[in-house]
Amino acid sequence: MGNRLAGIFWSLLFLAVPVLGVATFVVGPLYDIWLPKDVSVHGRSIDSLFYFILVLTGVVFVVTEVLLFWFLWKYDAARPNPVAAFIHGSHTLEVVWTIIPAATLLFLSIYQMNTWADVKMRRPRIPPTVEVVARQFEWRLRYPGRDGELGTPDDLFLVNDLHVPVDEEVLVQLKSMDVLHSFFLPNLRIKQDAVPGMKTPVWFKATEVGQYDIVCAELCGWGHYKMKGRITVDTREDYERWLEEIEARQEATQPEPVAEVAGQ
Amino acid sequence: MRACSRSDRRSTGGCIASWCAAVLVPLASGCGSDRVAAPSADAGLAAELRSRLASASPAAAAADAAPVGTGWATLKGRFVFAGDPGTPRALVADKDTEVCSKDGVKLLDRSLLVDPSGKGLANVVLFVRKASRVKEATPSSTPVVFDQKNCEFLAPVVAARVGQPVDVKNSDPIGHNTNVAGSDFNQLIPAGGSTAYVPKAETGLPTMVTCNVHPWMKAYMVFRKDGYVAVSAADGSFTIPDLPAGELLEFQVWHERSTGANGALGLDKPDLKWTPKGRFQIKLEENEVKDLGTLDVPASAIGT
Amino acid sequence: MIPSTHPSSVASRGIAAGSLSGTAPAVSRPPAIGLSWLAVGVVVTVAIATTGCGGAPAASFRANLVESTKQRLTPQQERQVATVMLALFGTPDEPVALPETGLDQAKLTLAAGPVRSDIVGRKNGLYREHCAHCHGITGDGLGPTAAFLNPYPRDYRPGVFKFKSTERADKPTRDDLVRLLHNGVPGTSMPSFALLSETQVDALVEYVKYLSIRGETELALARAFFELDDEAKGELQQTREFLVDEMLTPVADKWRAADEARIPVPEMPADIDMAASIAKGKELFYGDKANCVKCHGVTGLGDGQANDYDDWNKNIVEITKEIDGTAERAREAKTSGMTEEQRAEHRANIAWVNRFHGVLDGDALQPRTIPPRNLRQGIYRGGRRPLDLYYRIHAGINGAPMPAAKGTVPPEDIWHIVNYVRSLPYGFDGELGADRSTTSVQRDRM
Repeated sequence: MGNRLAGIFWSLLFLAVPVLGVATFVVGPLYDIWLPKDVSVHGRSIDSLFYFILVLTGVVFVVTEVLLFWFLWKYDAARPNPVAAFIHGSHTLEVVWTIIPAATLLFLSIYQMNTWADVKMRRPRIPPTVEVVARQFEWRLRYPGRDGELGTPDDLFLVNDLHVPVDEEVLVQLKSMDVLHSFFLPNLRIKQDAVPGMKTPVWFKATEVGQYDIVCAELCGWGHYKMKGRITVDTREDYERWLEEIEARQEATQPEPVAEVAGQ
Repeated sequence: MRACSRSDRRSTGGCIASWCAAVLVPLASGCGSDRVAAPSADAGLAAELRSRLASASPAAAAADAAPVGTGWATLKGRFVFAGDPGTPRALVADKDTEVCSKDGVKLLDRSLLVDPSGKGLANVVLFVRKASRVKEATPSSTPVVFDQKNCEFLAPVVAARVGQPVDVKNSDPIGHNTNVAGSDFNQLIPAGGSTAYVPKAETGLPTMVTCNVHPWMKAYMVFRKDGYVAVSAADGSFTIPDLPAGELLEFQVWHERSTGANGALGLDKPDLKWTPKGRFQIKLEENEVKDLGTLDVPASAIGT
Repeated sequence: MIPSTHPSSVASRGIAAGSLSGTAPAVSRPPAIGLSWLAVGVVVTVAIATTGCGGAPAASFRANLVESTKQRLTPQQERQVATVMLALFGTPDEPVALPETGLDQAKLTLAAGPVRSDIVGRKNGLYREHCAHCHGITGDGLGPTAAFLNPYPRDYRPGVFKFKSTERADKPTRDDLVRLLHNGVPGTSMPSFALLSETQVDALVEYVKYLSIRGETELALARAFFELDDEAKGELQQTREFLVDEMLTPVADKWRAADEARIPVPEMPADIDMAASIAKGKELFYGDKANCVKCHGVTGLGDGQANDYDDWNKNIVEITKEIDGTAERAREAKTSGMTEEQRAEHRANIAWVNRFHGVLDGDALQPRTIPPRNLRQGIYRGGRRPLDLYYRIHAGINGAPMPAAKGTVPPEDIWHIVNYVRSLPYGFDGELGADRSTTSVQRDRM
């Protein structure tokens, strides 16, 4: 008796895994816990890849787990069951369940090639909009300034506060000052490791004005969790006006009036 | 875990549990570094103090102490070092060597200057801790000169009155900066130039003066509100004129190398009630010129 | 692989090592639940043993032991100071701001205490979340990460701040501190907090002022013992006149005065010939009035000087010299010829030296020299605006060896030096070679 109880307990426990697993994916979006808002041009294709894989793996997951539950329940030692037959494996079964996943993976790798190429291989031939240098634990930005060239005396220096124009291709030159970081723009579906010693181009086009997050996606030290920045997508006029403001502030030879709080 | 692998499963579990406890509990109790124990505040007293401070009305500005006594007197004496001053060590002057180690001359540490003939101890500072009256209400406008040449400050200790200008000069062909610790004066003095510095607050004990371009340069400055301060000369003698007579004056004595706390120089003179905190008390008669005579500073009072 | 062993022996394998009985399963074999409940019990016991049942102990300020030991305070005197501090300033969880301090209690409440939400859902405990791990809960620059940082995090207690718009010995204005939080300090580990809201930045600035006022008052109290008359018997007066008016208010007044005490900066002419200004600036940089190359080096790399300290480290160096001197004297003293009084003093000195060693171990960081800034990297800790560089040159840097050029270098010339310095990272044609010191060049962590 006690044995059967144990069998029921463990079977139901394992059944809870697919049930709860599916439940989180159903309940999450109701509480706004789902993919962040997408404001990029490539976001749609990246997200659809995500959904495709989610559905595919989800179905396989549910089927496997339910089968597991079923076997735990049906073939519990406490239930009257015939003694298992000893077999030496089924060659057919093994071939089937190797071929099908391989084919699926092959399909996926071809299916996503275009998206990858768009996001990672077709670099726009424009001068860099901004140089982002990752540093423990902040994002240091350097705009080329009026002359459009990085590394000249009119460069604009900022920390954590990235502005880009909307509906325009933006090219970021990504570097790291110390250790590995990863430049992650969740709302633009962009993630790129900042490797010390390398200058990595990252490009995107934002489609909607607003303020979004920059987060670090590569463990870089004790402050990794709070290595946050802010990317503001502006209209072209606002963006230029903002650049002028930054330039004026950076070249200030007189203090600001006391009433005004520094920074923006 | 070999000790725990017995065939009886109940004792296996218990064995594992006790093994874990034996290892983890001592670990958990703390591997913290032992910092020196900080004093614990008395919470009850603090609460009572806080309520008392909150309810106490701000006191009326304390009236200055009523003037005591009449007339003025002079105090003099001579400090003599009883020990062996040894040879002063050479300073490492590795910058601007064409000026600072000109002709190979080495700059010497001047923290303990003893006159070889009379054993007089120079650069002992004395000042009155609190005087009820002063002879001249306004500080003199004659500047006190503080000069530097050959990459050393010419006077190891300089005293002035609060409000009296100090003429900080640079008689070297190279630039210096003069950094008076604890004040707002850290100023570049160009070669051959000078800057006036008017101290606005009195120092407690003498404060260190350095040059950051030439870090071996060191001197002391002391400023007092009432101006009753003296620095013993090369032969160890000092004079403080125009002290208020008829008032019990407490003096603070200081020397750079004294072993007392904060440089206070405590001598064995019970007739003057000289304390280990370097203070002595004396009351002067009107128009008296009191000579304290030879004040012996024992070797034990001066350290390294 | 389909497991090919008997189901019952699978169940029994974990229980009885080695006995793979092939017999038919006995229905009444006790279940594996027994062992797993035991395992759960062990885990829970260990978890409680390692972490305890209560919450973390309440945070408390740490006394300034370096100063109290330097002043040779007795334990009773140290306790007096701690009690007065508790009365005047409260605890890290419940700060008290007397009206004399001029601080805003609401802002302090927002910044103080453990990280939590208040009744309207605002986040409190900002200081502990963002600052305490480097600057310490007492603002003493001795947080857990402090020892790993170069340069060390700021110790607010002496009330000395380096990058501000006021004269050398004045306090920074509120705007200076806000700007510091917004920009961070490039070249150091101090990050930018530009993403915090204005209210949060205000609260943090207020709390930093609170910690600084508190620290300076504590220093004043510790030093006050030396000034006591003998009648006081080594005890401070517990009156408002002394504790508040004489100890606290002078410190708070300096902060109040700072907001009005910004250095007036004359305009740089708008039509200035930049090339000529840079050339003039270079002359001044290498000249005898400003003396820049003496520390910043003829190459501007900061290699002109290598053995000076900033005030915080110099304090420890001076103290260490004093302790070593006393220790040496104690070692060489011959106890045989001593009177009882001298012997007591000798023992007291030894105890003092030992205690100070312990205090320096736990309450002070290893002193480091302060290298002059490498001006060719384009990293400016106090801000990169021409205005910021003007402030640095005009007033020097409080707490650091950088001297003030005011009075010696007229304002137009300071602007020329500023322009020259700003051109250094982009093209250098200064004198190389001659008088190049062999000390290593400091490159800032960018």
